[in-house]
Amino acid sequence: MAAPRISSEQLTDDMTIRVSGDWLLPNLAHLGQATLAALPSADATLDGAELTALDTSGALRLLEIMRDAGADPQQITCVNFSKAHAAVFELVARNFADSMITTLPVREGMLAHIGRSSLASWRHICGTTNFVGKISYQAFQLLRHPGEFRSKEFITQIETVFVNAIPLAFAMMFLMGVVFAYLLGNQAEQYGASIFVVDGVSLAMSRELAPVLVAILVAGRSGAAMTAQIGSMKVNDEVDAISVLGLSPYNVLVVPRILALLIALPLLVFIGDIAGILGGMLIAERQLGIGAYAFIARLDQVLPVKTVLLGLIKAPVFALFIGVIACRMGLTVAHDAQSVGANTTSTVVQSIVAVIIINAMFAVAFVELGF
Amino acid sequence: MDAQPIIELDHIVTRFGTQSIHDGVSLKVNRGEVVALIGGSGSGKSVLLKELVGLIRPTSGTARLFGEDVWAANGEQLNRLRQRFGMLFQDGALFSSLNVAQNVAIPLLEHTQLDKAECMRLARLKLALAGLPESAATKMPSELSGGMRKRTALARALALDPELLFLDEPTSGLDPISARAFDQLIRVLSDGLGLTVFLITHDLDTLLSIIDRVIVLADHQILADGSVATLQKIDNPWLRDYFSARARTEEH
Repeated sequence: MAAPRISSEQLTDDMTIRVSGDWLLPNLAHLGQATLAALPSADATLDGAELTALDTSGALRLLEIMRDAGADPQQITCVNFSKAHAAVFELVARNFADSMITTLPVREGMLAHIGRSSLASWRHICGTTNFVGKISYQAFQLLRHPGEFRSKEFITQIETVFVNAIPLAFAMMFLMGVVFAYLLGNQAEQYGASIFVVDGVSLAMSRELAPVLVAILVAGRSGAAMTAQIGSMKVNDEVDAISVLGLSPYNVLVVPRILALLIALPLLVFIGDIAGILGGMLIAERQLGIGAYAFIARLDQVLPVKTVLLGLIKAPVFALFIGVIACRMGLTVAHDAQSVGANTTSTVVQSIVAVIIINAMFAVAFVELGF
Repeated sequence: MDAQPIIELDHIVTRFGTQSIHDGVSLKVNRGEVVALIGGSGSGKSVLLKELVGLIRPTSGTARLFGEDVWAANGEQLNRLRQRFGMLFQDGALFSSLNVAQNVAIPLLEHTQLDKAECMRLARLKLALAGLPESAATKMPSELSGGMRKRTALARALALDPELLFLDEPTSGLDPISARAFDQLIRVLSDGLGLTVFLITHDLDTLLSIIDRVIVLADHQILADGSVATLQKIDNPWLRDYFSARARTEEH
């Protein structure tokens, strides 16, 4: 490949600029900052007799160099150009002005930024309220016309949210019980109070650990999946297609999902309770020498049904929040892939924060109510 | 100009499981030609295109671009080959997290040593060549109309000044005025830049206006290969129906 070159020479009274070599995109970096002596007038003559190749990128650079030397891109006369090169040069010269426009990205001040995010938060609150209103209305409609309920979708959701999550929830809470009992046992043993491990594990699991951890698991697992699925359907116009078919996306997509979560989460929490206590039982026997019979006998004395119910009663509330957040974030996905990712992240973050805040509120309320 | 064909397919056989897509497809495209590939829906046109650009491996047969075997090339060779052609995907396939000008500048930023400002100027040039107004450059792909998405995708395909352009249904989803303007644009670029264009189309107007040669894919094989005028003379039921579909609409 011949390196691209440019030079000017004075012939009689006219200035002629000679170009030679391959003016191609891969060669432009080697050309560096080639410049041309200032031209006497805006109309210049360009001699392309030794030009061997020219593409649009090369032509643009050539025109830039000539413009910097004072030539008017529209008034350059080409001589000795091959037909193809002349066509390329002419095409680029015609679009030269448009290529030179640079619109700088608008930088916002701090005040504008705060204002914009406040408005966005306000819209988010209004949107969520509106969304809750719509699903409530839809739920009441379903009570009046139970035939419209999408049982097939509901059963599919129960399968993905509940049945498929059982092994994971069980394993997670079992290991949690093992770790908790082991650490607690280490301390209790020093005081000769090994049996209190049963109290610690069973109360902590059923009242706090299982509900919160399983809810966080479901938020990360099912909440994220719901947002991503509804969001992708939104990107593909499937949600609009559901509306145009005369169906309600709320009825088809949202209600079965939230209902499935409402049923699945308490059941998963109950499984988590059992798994945690089993994990504690294993450690109690291995490390502290408390046999299964002794463990269960102690469990019967220290774990009232009320405590288990207090743990379980929180689960549907968590489920409602996770479901509403996940479906709403799914339906607000914009028409691009990035937004699916952003909304899925937001679902997980919002759900986990909601679960933790609601749990704290429950804790305070239960204490105040004397439970 | 060398006589070596730019695209060369030799006895391509493609099977997905038991389903046969291509059964011995061979074709050649020479430098500077604008060639259209037509065929009914599901005849494997897009699959053939993906085999050419190294996305789907054919069951057997060779695919050559610029004389190099696409499926014998290693990763580095394939990527070097890929810089020599541009591809326009059916729905544009623009990167939704980047704006229009950045979408076009991406290949330049990745594959050349030019500074960012020059890449952006080149991107602007390609956008202007593709016929996009300057106001579109800072828009996000989700804000564009179908025609503007296609033009942006064309500008991106042209970014590295390729010698060869693959277009998958360039005019589908465009109104007739935009579609004809797009056809003319491709022809101007092909004539001016000496581009070789290989396109898949369902659009009869495109065939009749800008195409040098048509290749017909049917029944897993090449049914016909020639200019539109030659094809219209071939006595084949599918081809007859294909061209009479237009004749009939013109009578009304």
